[in-house]
Amino acid sequence: MEISRIQLLKRFKSLAFVALTFGFVGLTNFTKAQGEALFKSKCATCHQTHKNSTGPKLFQVRDKWAAGGAKEGSIIKWVNNWQNAVAVDPYAAEVSKWSPTAMSAFPDLKAEEIISIFDWIDAQPDPAAATTGGPTDPNAPPLDPMEEEGSVGWIWIVMGVIFIVVILAVGGVRRQLNIATSDNPEHQEKLTYGEELRTIAWKYRLWVGLASLVTVIAVIVTLFQGLYRINIMEDYQPSQPIAFPHDRHAGVNGIDCKYCHNSVTKSKSAGIPSVNVCMNCHKQINGEGKPFAGEIKKIYAAAGWDVSSGAGRYTGKTKPIVWNKVHVLPDHVYFNHSQHIVVGGVDCKQCHGDMKVMNEAAKVQPVSELNKIEGNIQLTKPTLTMGWCIECHGKKDVKIGDGKNAYYDEIHRRLKKDPALYKKYYQDGKVSVSELGGWECAKCHY
Amino acid sequence: MKRNVFAIIGTSALTLSLLMLNSCKSDADSPGFEYAPDMYRTPSIEPYVDYGEVRGRIDESKKVLLSARIPARNTIPYYGTDTAEVKLMLPYFRKPNVAFRESHGLYGVDVSLSDEYTLAAADKNPMGINVLNGEKILANGKELFTAMCQHCHGEKGDGNGPMVISGAYVGVPNYANLANLSDGQMFYSIYYGKGMMGSHGSILSKKEIWTLVHYVRQFQNKDYGKFDATGKPVMSAVVSDTMAVKP
Repeated sequence: MEISRIQLLKRFKSLAFVALTFGFVGLTNFTKAQGEALFKSKCATCHQTHKNSTGPKLFQVRDKWAAGGAKEGSIIKWVNNWQNAVAVDPYAAEVSKWSPTAMSAFPDLKAEEIISIFDWIDAQPDPAAATTGGPTDPNAPPLDPMEEEGSVGWIWIVMGVIFIVVILAVGGVRRQLNIATSDNPEHQEKLTYGEELRTIAWKYRLWVGLASLVTVIAVIVTLFQGLYRINIMEDYQPSQPIAFPHDRHAGVNGIDCKYCHNSVTKSKSAGIPSVNVCMNCHKQINGEGKPFAGEIKKIYAAAGWDVSSGAGRYTGKTKPIVWNKVHVLPDHVYFNHSQHIVVGGVDCKQCHGDMKVMNEAAKVQPVSELNKIEGNIQLTKPTLTMGWCIECHGKKDVKIGDGKNAYYDEIHRRLKKDPALYKKYYQDGKVSVSELGGWECAKCHY
Repeated sequence: MKRNVFAIIGTSALTLSLLMLNSCKSDADSPGFEYAPDMYRTPSIEPYVDYGEVRGRIDESKKVLLSARIPARNTIPYYGTDTAEVKLMLPYFRKPNVAFRESHGLYGVDVSLSDEYTLAAADKNPMGINVLNGEKILANGKELFTAMCQHCHGEKGDGNGPMVISGAYVGVPNYANLANLSDGQMFYSIYYGKGMMGSHGSILSKKEIWTLVHYVRQFQNKDYGKFDATGKPVMSAVVSDTMAVKP
């Protein structure tokens, strides 16, 4: 009996211990969850756990303050209102010089809530330590396709030369053998290469004649095809000062074309973003430890963004990034982006292709590539030629009478009045740009 | 002897053609043959055109381009003759704090020594929203938000845009947590930037920003900008608050 009672007591003790442990763990979990929620709603806009952003990184910030000689509890005071902490603590006054941007005051946060936030932050692992060390980086920039093509071309040239040398050598040997085994060596030896060739050509004159006719026609056709390629800008892909991957920006990160090319809805030119637009995101995204960090440093140099101190600061010493224009139209052509995008409702990819998957420098997409894109009007003439514009103006329908454009509404109203004209316009079930004067010379040339 | 001459001529022709082939590498920066290059290299002022080479003449001093600049200070776009519209387009009267130079790169902008962000709390949205224009303003707002904001702030305004989901960017607030932010402060933050967010004054007009302010309010109260059959706002307090017309 005595033993069992002791056992019972022991069992009770262990049960109580388990219950207590669970209770304790549960309690700490609760405060940590609270800390996480508070951090995400109040702090995360400016602070990160392991990286400086608008505010300094907060991982083990309490230890940092203690090591720096801050007074007990002044960090709590700082969070409530940083000016109060600066007034009483010289360390806090020093911290306030970290960045010119002042921290918002959070007078509603209780001391235990602030502690729960710091507890949660200190429990976070360093994300940089987890991600580094991979053998292959998926963000590595692709190899330059131009260079690859060049090396392949050299191999063909070298192989062609070897081939010609072999043919000539074999031919020479064969000729020498022929001479050696001929019944009439004297006669054979008198013939030069040219004379021999002429005899053979006369012997097979029909075939030689046909072959030369084919060759002449082929040369003429090639010449004319070459002439037709003059002024064709397809595949024009000038080098750019910064290796900008459109697929990462527009594809992975879902940035709308109009964010960077923001004058496309307002102006003739779609606009190359000024460097302050790049900095709207790249102030934070510095690509540290990534292969493209050097490219982002070029943006920083252009924007005058100095990352060496604290939160980083703009020095005011800016310089332009000289991008190279890709889609060049002649001076005598007027093209307006806003007319096509806003009024015409044309999608960017109709002319520029799918930039969400384009990881090399921007280029003039050939029309065969543009035709592969879903929803694009199928065209046959080379991109950026007049034929290409005209073809599209003949095929693209204008949405008239939907109340979005007063000019087209007026046309719609008049069309409805005139049944004959209405019938003529709607013969193919749509009103195309050309039917509204899109083929008039003066639409684009004036 | 004759054969030797042939061999010499043949070899030299081969070498020469090889050398010529070698020079035939493609230059990515050359647009290729043009019919009339002087029609491409225009002497008139066009955006993003290299004035270092006009009509075949190369001018080294003009080679450094004024590429991708922000609009000149205090310029306003032409917006017709509608007085209300023009008033809306006049330069923003609030100035950024002097600290915005270092934090947001607003050099070359008139700065203020006082905290105008706090003062901006008193500013009202000059674009009144009512039963007549409510739908149009919110539709325009949605279009603008999709192009200009949603990659960070998310389609639902919860701070979970594709950039945040992909892990490229962190620290985007949820609009629902910013219900106390006044219209004027929201405008100020979009115009001059706040914290990590950069200044969007160079890429958005004032009218567009005020439209966005209306649209963002919708994330905080789903009844914002909605009107009942009699034309009265479903959510009275805030809507009537923004009716004051003042630039």
